[in-house]
Amino acid sequence: MARIEIKNVTKCFEKNTIISNLNLTIEDGKFTVLVGPSGCGKTTILRMIAGIGPQTSGQVLIDGEDVSDIEAGKRGVAMVFQNYAIYPTMSVRENIEFGLKNNKVPKAERERRINEVSEAVGLSDYLDRKPSTLSGGQRQRVALARAMVKQPKVFLMDEPLSNLDAKLRVQMRVELIEIHKRLGTTFVYVTHDQVEAMSMADKIVLLNNGIIQQEASPADIYRDPNNMFTAQFIGTPPMNILDLGCDGVRFGFRPEKVSLSLKPVEGSYKFEADIVTREMLGSETIYSLRMSDGKTVMAKSSKDDFFMGNHVYASVERENIYLFAEDEQRIRAENEGYEKYLNMLGASDK
Amino acid sequence: MNNKKALRIVKKTPEYLLKTLVILVFIFPFYWMLSTAFKTYAEAIATPPTLWPADLIIENFAKAWNSGPFLTYTKNSVIVTLSVIVIQYIIMVPAAYGFARFNFRGKNLLFAIVLIAFMMPGQIVFIPVYLMLAKWDLLKTLLPQILPFAANAFGIFLLRQYFMQVPEEIIEAAKLDNAKEHQIMFKIMMPMAKSAMMTVALFSFISRWNDYFWPLVMTNDESLRPLTVGIAMLKDAEGIVNWHVIMAGNTILVIPIILIYIFASRQIVKAFVYSGIK
Amino acid sequence: MKKKKAYPYLLIGPAILFMLVFVIYPMFYLGYISLTNWNLINPTKKFVGFNNYITLFHREEFYKSLFNTCTYTFFTVISIMVIALLLAVWFNRNTKFDTFGQMAIFTPHIIALVSVAMVWLWLMDPDAGLLNYILKVFGFPPSKWLQSSKTSMMSIIIVSVWKSVGYYTLIILAALQSIPKDIYEAADLDNAPKIRQFFKITLPMISPQLFFLLIVMTIDSFKVFETVRVMTSGGPNFSTNVLVYYIYDNAFINMKLGYAAAAGMVLLVIIGLITIVYFKLLAKKVHYQ
Repeated sequence: MARIEIKNVTKCFEKNTIISNLNLTIEDGKFTVLVGPSGCGKTTILRMIAGIGPQTSGQVLIDGEDVSDIEAGKRGVAMVFQNYAIYPTMSVRENIEFGLKNNKVPKAERERRINEVSEAVGLSDYLDRKPSTLSGGQRQRVALARAMVKQPKVFLMDEPLSNLDAKLRVQMRVELIEIHKRLGTTFVYVTHDQVEAMSMADKIVLLNNGIIQQEASPADIYRDPNNMFTAQFIGTPPMNILDLGCDGVRFGFRPEKVSLSLKPVEGSYKFEADIVTREMLGSETIYSLRMSDGKTVMAKSSKDDFFMGNHVYASVERENIYLFAEDEQRIRAENEGYEKYLNMLGASDK
Repeated sequence: MNNKKALRIVKKTPEYLLKTLVILVFIFPFYWMLSTAFKTYAEAIATPPTLWPADLIIENFAKAWNSGPFLTYTKNSVIVTLSVIVIQYIIMVPAAYGFARFNFRGKNLLFAIVLIAFMMPGQIVFIPVYLMLAKWDLLKTLLPQILPFAANAFGIFLLRQYFMQVPEEIIEAAKLDNAKEHQIMFKIMMPMAKSAMMTVALFSFISRWNDYFWPLVMTNDESLRPLTVGIAMLKDAEGIVNWHVIMAGNTILVIPIILIYIFASRQIVKAFVYSGIK
Repeated sequence: MKKKKAYPYLLIGPAILFMLVFVIYPMFYLGYISLTNWNLINPTKKFVGFNNYITLFHREEFYKSLFNTCTYTFFTVISIMVIALLLAVWFNRNTKFDTFGQMAIFTPHIIALVSVAMVWLWLMDPDAGLLNYILKVFGFPPSKWLQSSKTSMMSIIIVSVWKSVGYYTLIILAALQSIPKDIYEAADLDNAPKIRQFFKITLPMISPQLFFLLIVMTIDSFKVFETVRVMTSGGPNFSTNVLVYYIYDNAFINMKLGYAAAAGMVLLVIIGLITIVYFKLLAKKVHYQ
């Protein structure tokens, strides 16, 4: 179990600075997900914690101890790689055992742990197979077992599910959550997929261009985004954002908060629009709406009785409107101007 | 931080020194050849040896050049090398294309012939080939050094591989555009295999230019010999003690290759490494 | 339609024709010559059955040259393999210095073997050669190198290794670079020391390629000729007379073509066997992942 602190860390590749002066604390025992678009620095942070891509300057602390000069193998962390990085010439058992042997764990103890772990991930019958004979899902389990068997203080996972097919991915997600619950160890998980982040994390750290945009629980990050980037990154389809037409302020609302009707309706923010496309997802339908000024917004609704060409009346409740200042930061209820801008929105409607 | 960096440099120094030593082992003999080529006889065999010649003696080259018909040797080397490359292309490109793009009866058998040709060293077949060429009365020409290399099995392999990588869709699109087979070959396939063609040319050039065994057994007339054979005979002509002249002759042989290597080292390395991996 | 069917044959025809004439037919022709007493001086060729082979297998010289070839092959292949592997691992870095190093080590491979042989002949000159001077500077006794039957084979091997090791180094390097980086990172996280990573990960992962290189090197070594011809002419005292040189010597110096052809057939069988092993293995080439 361990708490990880990253202090004033900078990372450069040749002349490009990927991360500059970043501070982050990852809490003990939590499932923390680093999420962001590609190139945002999330994998860089993970590799820094692991010790396989050390920072250019700054400190990484595990349990209060500065590990900056400690080798990867001696940090007490384990990592699951995106492509699993399984040793192809070793059997499954040897793969799992390799780290234990290097750490001079006695044979009896090794046997015990391997059995326990392979039982837990369902690999018991495959221990003597070569990785090349395993399916993608099984290899994923080997990678997982190899990490678990070391009983690390910290689990690091770099997009571990990205090479699996959709169905298996959902299944493994659940299994990973269960493993985390059972072990109670610190998990740091990197992904570019916000759905994965939302469904697994205790805490999400959202990054963009090497800068932390927001650190919060999935519910908070969805309900209360700090800025426009967060608002648009989390949630599918992304939040609709429109110009308010004053001070460069913009307002936004989530597609799922739009109510649609063929007859005029009441609401804080109302507009009329034509349905341009319709995507039926089963329980929900996503519509794209063209407003009278030509702008397009998305709406997600449980109703599927609107069709292309329909003229609809849409409305959004006041509490579902988000305001963003010119610098893309959120204007919250306690901020100056909140009421004014919100009222302008009500007035602007026809 | 600066201390750390300094420490790292100090730690690395022995490694770099050792690496430099290894590099010298592979390069220095060529320098030594060059250096000896410019020395006088006395300086060449002096102890202790001098690293840099006291005077640059250019006459050594003239002496080497005039010790035999070197103009003829050079001409022969150039003619043989260039004609082999040209003929190889004419024969190899259609063959590789045929193997890559068509299915026909006996394809496996014919490809097996290419494989055997690929593996068969000249050191095995030189006696029968020599007798054949003698029978055809070709030994008084340069053809014995050219014809046996007309079909380049390695080139056919390599180009075939490249041609097979061209997506079927591109060829189908060309067919829909009403392209003829030869147009597909010349306008679509060949440009896509450009780097492979370059590779084969470099490979052929270097192996023909450097070859010694084949011209040695195929020629018994001065007027037909290439540079390699001529240079090797310097040893007999000049006597084993005239190292400065022998090295001058070798320099003449080596310089074109070294120059090409300096300008196209990456490509040459790629060509040779590829030939080894297959 | 008929024209279409002939088309692929037209494309590959010329290549196949040349291969038939200069490779396939000569193979059989060689077999035929080996059964005659063909010699270049008076062109009587009589069928003599297996006489040439019988003579061949009774000549001590033939066994000596076969033994020399095997000695040469054994030491050359082992030295090249070990040195190339070491150099490849050592120079496997992406700095400008290491790239230059790779290019430098490779240089001898593209230089004519004749020149290489002559330059080393000069370096190994017992009286004025640089090598003996260096030995003397470091307090070692000078060597006779190529001029003593004790050291001549070793000298030839040194030259061959020096010439080819860069080539194999670069091939092994290419194999090394095809190993995914994250496997080494995983090994770092598994706390495996570098030496252990080499023996447990690197070596097993490139061993299929190494095995094929071994076979290629072996075939190549059996063909050794030019170094011997330029540096020692098979001497002194037959100590460097290898198989191809023996064939050449008998064919073009002694003019006994039939006898030389019989020795050639032996070489054909040896190389043929090695090649068959090669293709057998190629067919079940190990594929990882």
